[in-house]
Amino acid sequence: MAKESFDKEIQFLRLLALTGGNYDRQQFAGRLGISVHTFDKTIRRLKEVNGDADFADLFRYNYADTAEPVLLFLYRAKSMKESESRRLPIILTALKQEPMTAAALLDVCDEQLIDSAAAPPDEKTIRSDLRYLEEIGVIRREPSGRPYRYRLNNDLTDCLTREELIELYEFVDIMANTQIPSVQGYLLRDNLKKAIKATVSESPDDSWQEEWLEPFSYRYHYDARILDEAHLYTLLRLIREHRFISFQYYSPSRKRSYTAQNTNPLFSRDNEPRRQHMLPLRVVYDHQYGRWYLLGTTPGGRIVKYRMDGIVDITAEQEIDARLCEQYAAKLDEHTRYSWLVDTGRTVTVRARFFKPAPPQNDFIQERVRMQGQWGQIVEEDAHSFIYEIKVNGYTEIRPWLRSFGSSCEVLEPAALRESLIEEWKELMNDYESF
Amino acid sequence: MNLFEKIFSYQLASRLEETATYTLTSQERAWLKMMLEQPAAAHALDLQTLHKIGDCLLEEEIPQLQQALTEKAGSAAGQTYSPLLRPLRLIMRRRQSMEIRRLNKHGQLILSQYGVPWKLEFSMARREWYLLWYNMRTRAAMTTRLVHIQSITEIPLPPDQYEPICQRMQDICSVERQEAVIQLLPMYNMELTRILHAFSCFDKRVEFVEQEQTYYIYLNFAGNESEYVLNRLRFLGKRVRVIEGDHLKRRMHDTATRALARYGQNADRHDID
Repeated sequence: MAKESFDKEIQFLRLLALTGGNYDRQQFAGRLGISVHTFDKTIRRLKEVNGDADFADLFRYNYADTAEPVLLFLYRAKSMKESESRRLPIILTALKQEPMTAAALLDVCDEQLIDSAAAPPDEKTIRSDLRYLEEIGVIRREPSGRPYRYRLNNDLTDCLTREELIELYEFVDIMANTQIPSVQGYLLRDNLKKAIKATVSESPDDSWQEEWLEPFSYRYHYDARILDEAHLYTLLRLIREHRFISFQYYSPSRKRSYTAQNTNPLFSRDNEPRRQHMLPLRVVYDHQYGRWYLLGTTPGGRIVKYRMDGIVDITAEQEIDARLCEQYAAKLDEHTRYSWLVDTGRTVTVRARFFKPAPPQNDFIQERVRMQGQWGQIVEEDAHSFIYEIKVNGYTEIRPWLRSFGSSCEVLEPAALRESLIEEWKELMNDYESF
Repeated sequence: MNLFEKIFSYQLASRLEETATYTLTSQERAWLKMMLEQPAAAHALDLQTLHKIGDCLLEEEIPQLQQALTEKAGSAAGQTYSPLLRPLRLIMRRRQSMEIRRLNKHGQLILSQYGVPWKLEFSMARREWYLLWYNMRTRAAMTTRLVHIQSITEIPLPPDQYEPICQRMQDICSVERQEAVIQLLPMYNMELTRILHAFSCFDKRVEFVEQEQTYYIYLNFAGNESEYVLNRLRFLGKRVRVIEGDHLKRRMHDTATRALARYGQNADRHDID
């Protein structure tokens, strides 16, 4: 399969999802770094695949009420030749009925496409379609000899009873919504939905309810996370192949401290960022924000980190020796062992006192610290408070989490972190002084 | 794995829909095989179903992600699946009521109550399942953590009662939406995407006022979500400021005052609780 670039669409959809679609065309185009004309073209294309729905409306839904991933349509946006989009359904529908040979399928296509403007396919075309469908596992060859007969490979759903299908569907729904990666899960979920609907038609006395297809709701979901999965498999493959890569990097914020210093994009005259060159080694998903990072080394062996949402136009470059690659990976793992997220700064010990809520409330503070505190430990505890201790690479990344506890958390060490939090709380108090 | 296979395209899918045909690719099956390795699978599916599915997935290869892909800052002990999900779903599908024995939020045992399960909700923030249900005696909407449920027994419910109860739950749960306006301080404008990521789980719109070079985030959220909004506001600290939403402003002021008191600063104005 040719590599299809969805870079522009991904960037646009991310902006749309993050802002709620409230910018005007000019603002969108400006932020995407494309002309208004190109922007309009992108919109037209996306609307075509999304059945003309208003984009802004897409994101005006109640997040808790639906598990439909709105951004999934990016993965459905692949365009096809008209003739192909007519021919493949005929082949697949025929194979759903019974196993068939390429010659028989050719006849079926001839017959059904007789009124169509396009010329009926030749045998070579049918064979290449079958090869593609077999390769992606949608159909399979029957074990008998030549001429080969093919059938639709829906064993997974065919072997299950309706009750079992529903249980599988609900399992897939949960896993797609709570685990990474999830795009394939969402695609499978859609297909299982169709499979369940198909079983209903066979048993008309069943009181099947449409609403059962939304069995659970999920709160505080990061929708945009599934956009970065577009790059995930490419990157994981290149990591496995020990290959250097290059890409354009649009730093999401110029002042970030996560990206190593001289990797900041230098904008040349044509506004294209300088291409980054690196050996990818690890992908990190940040649960707090729902963001992805790519970590690796430069050709010189220096550790570099990039936000995956800033990566555009990835190209595979030279391969390096597997053993050397393992050494780099081991070094990176060593340096990120104490990273709250991806910081590889100096290791410090953070000590914080957490205050327990007054009884009869259960100790939800401790519960949260134990759940979210990663490898940190509770080292002391009394009736009113406990002390949590963690070794981390720099305290920048853990700071927001500590602050989110408000007055239930008092940082004891390091002194600099303690002082900076006091300063920040003072500023915040001034901001809200009128209350 | 290529997520942009043409088999997933809308053009093709909409035509297949007409003949009620669907397709399953190797990559979907491989993903499923990977998920079945998780302990949750053993609770979610019958042993027999698991075997049947396993037989269909023999040829698929589990994508090798473990080594190269890590999740950070997630919740270690969080549950993904609860054994109570299945029995509860079954009662919901049959549109029946239940007898529930549970602990309250202080951990005390509440003896049998009658109610109708309405929705199962997962909080990504806490990695925890909740049951939203209607208490028949008090006629109130309840939210109970599944870990607090001791037992559930199905109780028949007259068919004409189910719909009105669901409608009532819908009404109770859909009132009380709040809007807050949050300003991003211009000196942090370059952190815009980071801040939007932190709020990306809420209904919202963003406005940029050119003259002031300032972003305003209009958040729309349910009344019972204000604690989580506060959590996000504290998480972001001084980068953002609530400019509309008195409750949030008051709470932020409170938090700041009390936090400073913890550090022995300005402890004169409020008692610490």
